[in-house]
Amino acid sequence: MHEATVCTEGCFIKCKNFFCEHGQRLSELLHLCSDVIEKIGKGDTSQKIDIKVERYSLQRLIDSINKLSKDIEELINLNHELAIGICEHFDVLRRLQEGDFSAKASEDSSIEIVKMLGQLINRQRERFLDYIDKIKEQHSEMVKIYEQERVILSSIGVAILITEEDMTVEFVNEEFERLTGYTKKEIEGKMRWSDFIPEDILPQAIEYHKLRRISPSLAPSQYEIKIKDKHGRIKDALMTVAMIPYTKKSIKSIIDITERKKIQEQLLHSQKIESLGMLSGRIAHEYKNILTGVLGFAAILDAKIQDENLKKYVQKIVEAGQRARDLSNTLLTFSRKEDISTVTKINLNKFLVNYSEFLRSIIGRDIELKLNLPESEVLYEIDPAHLEVIVLNLVTNSRDAMPEGGEVVITLNEIHLNSDYQNTHPLVKPGNYLVLSISDTGTGMDEETKKRVFEPFFTTKPKGKGTGLGLTTVYGLVKGYNGHIHLYSELGQGTTFKIYFPQKNKINMELINKEILKGNETVLLVDDDAQVRQYIGSFLRDYGYTVYEAENGEQALKIFEEYKEKIDLCLIDFIMPVITGLEVKKRINSINPKTKILIMSGNPITLKDTTIIEKSISPEEILFKIRNILDQKE
Amino acid sequence: MADRLLDYSGLKCPYPILKLSVQYPQFKEGEIVEVIGDCPTFEKDIKAWCQKLGKTIINLEKHGLKIKVTIRI
Repeated sequence: MHEATVCTEGCFIKCKNFFCEHGQRLSELLHLCSDVIEKIGKGDTSQKIDIKVERYSLQRLIDSINKLSKDIEELINLNHELAIGICEHFDVLRRLQEGDFSAKASEDSSIEIVKMLGQLINRQRERFLDYIDKIKEQHSEMVKIYEQERVILSSIGVAILITEEDMTVEFVNEEFERLTGYTKKEIEGKMRWSDFIPEDILPQAIEYHKLRRISPSLAPSQYEIKIKDKHGRIKDALMTVAMIPYTKKSIKSIIDITERKKIQEQLLHSQKIESLGMLSGRIAHEYKNILTGVLGFAAILDAKIQDENLKKYVQKIVEAGQRARDLSNTLLTFSRKEDISTVTKINLNKFLVNYSEFLRSIIGRDIELKLNLPESEVLYEIDPAHLEVIVLNLVTNSRDAMPEGGEVVITLNEIHLNSDYQNTHPLVKPGNYLVLSISDTGTGMDEETKKRVFEPFFTTKPKGKGTGLGLTTVYGLVKGYNGHIHLYSELGQGTTFKIYFPQKNKINMELINKEILKGNETVLLVDDDAQVRQYIGSFLRDYGYTVYEAENGEQALKIFEEYKEKIDLCLIDFIMPVITGLEVKKRINSINPKTKILIMSGNPITLKDTTIIEKSISPEEILFKIRNILDQKE
Repeated sequence: MADRLLDYSGLKCPYPILKLSVQYPQFKEGEIVEVIGDCPTFEKDIKAWCQKLGKTIINLEKHGLKIKVTIRI
């Protein structure tokens, strides 16, 4: 240590003595201090001055520098922790923003704001994850709904398709596959809606498609359309269209109405023919009345005129009048104004075999006539003259359709038509039918001819060759037997007419044991026709019944009053003079409500709460019915 | 051979790691990055940064005041 001395050189600040020991030592110390301050300034806070000096001012400087180093170190540490925290949180936020939700901020910083920033980031992350979970749940729910809707749309019995704005088909269901013949794979994303539309209606379909996207209310939501399937077949369809909300897509539901349209056409055609029948029948009827006068007065004139030359003219009038009357009669047949009264049960097999000889002579050698008849005999109640007209007309038409020769086949068979058949042929009632079909290998008919073939005076034959009444007459006759006539024809292939004659619900009596038809009950038989009474009474007695006969209602009521305890069943004619069958029934029931009553009718009729039997059916069938009623099976 | 060289010489800490954090999103995973700094606290900062962000220091060289750190991103 130096002793305190007074400097003569002006003390160490102004000292000019270069060799002053004090001055040199002070200078060294100050240089050290400067070096340390510089290093601290660069961030190196490891620098310390570890020197103790006696002079207070210098020691204070050294202490201040050491304290500055410590303070700056603390500041640097704080600054660095802050920077590291920011860097870390910056990175976590970046990863979260990129969708990496595994990123998590640390919350262990000693700097409160950095720690809180970490907590905030993590809470925000949790909140995001909650939202994401909820969105995932909603998405999963939407996927379920979507799948459910797709299943519903797929399995629904209506053809469905969803189209994009550019007509690309996005979705079709199974019914649409069935309708068009294409598979889902072939359609979805590959085909356009326009691929299913026939060319003639394509512009309209495109217009509706565009219009619906501009102004939905202006495009019809339901309309009839035609659909072209894989094989080029055109189908009639009813289509309902709607836009799918928030999209430019539309959903179309399509119902195939091809069959329905056919049935409608059948009905319309049938109604048209019926109207024509009514009109021609009415006109024919009026003409017939007029012709009665013309022919009657012509006959009177013929009787009164002596001049043979004039008689010839009258004869001409009579002949022309008769031709006109014949024509009227034909028209009346078509309109079924003529009674079918001479029906007899005939063996159709025999009839057709016999009649075919005559037919062969008409059709000529170039045409072969074949009969296709069942082995078992077919009996049917029909006027043979009508059957001849039907077969002759159809075979003649076949002949005219085969100028170069060919083949005509007459087929006879019995079939049962069920309710399924009625779905496609609404005018045909389900039941047993006798089918007489006549097919040829002729020229066939076009669609227009097929539609008009039964119309009166419609003919494709040259003028003077055909009256246009042949098929009209056939139609009228068939309808007269409650039958139906169906036409199948292809141009160049040939034609088949199928006639369906309804068969009554007859029971095959040959198979029934006659013993079960017998009875010992008492029957009151009421009919004003003595022959019918005698006929029915005789077979009732033959089968063991006791029979009381009455020729009118009054007599019947008297007998019933007298023998009401004995009479088990009353068999009453529907139409009788003075007291009708129904009135007799009513009065008998008022005497004894439990008495069983069976009404007999010449025509097939149905009445509420009344059991009716047709007189034309066989004795066995009548006995069977009586037995059933007495045994309370009906 | 590094894919990328970042020279932060002359920059005082914590500027080097702040700049590195901003540039880092451009790096691809697995890239090798060399970072040079001459700040006295650079080594401490870069080590802390790598530890917080889960990066690996594969080499550290000192040339006087300069430090070169090689990092696998």
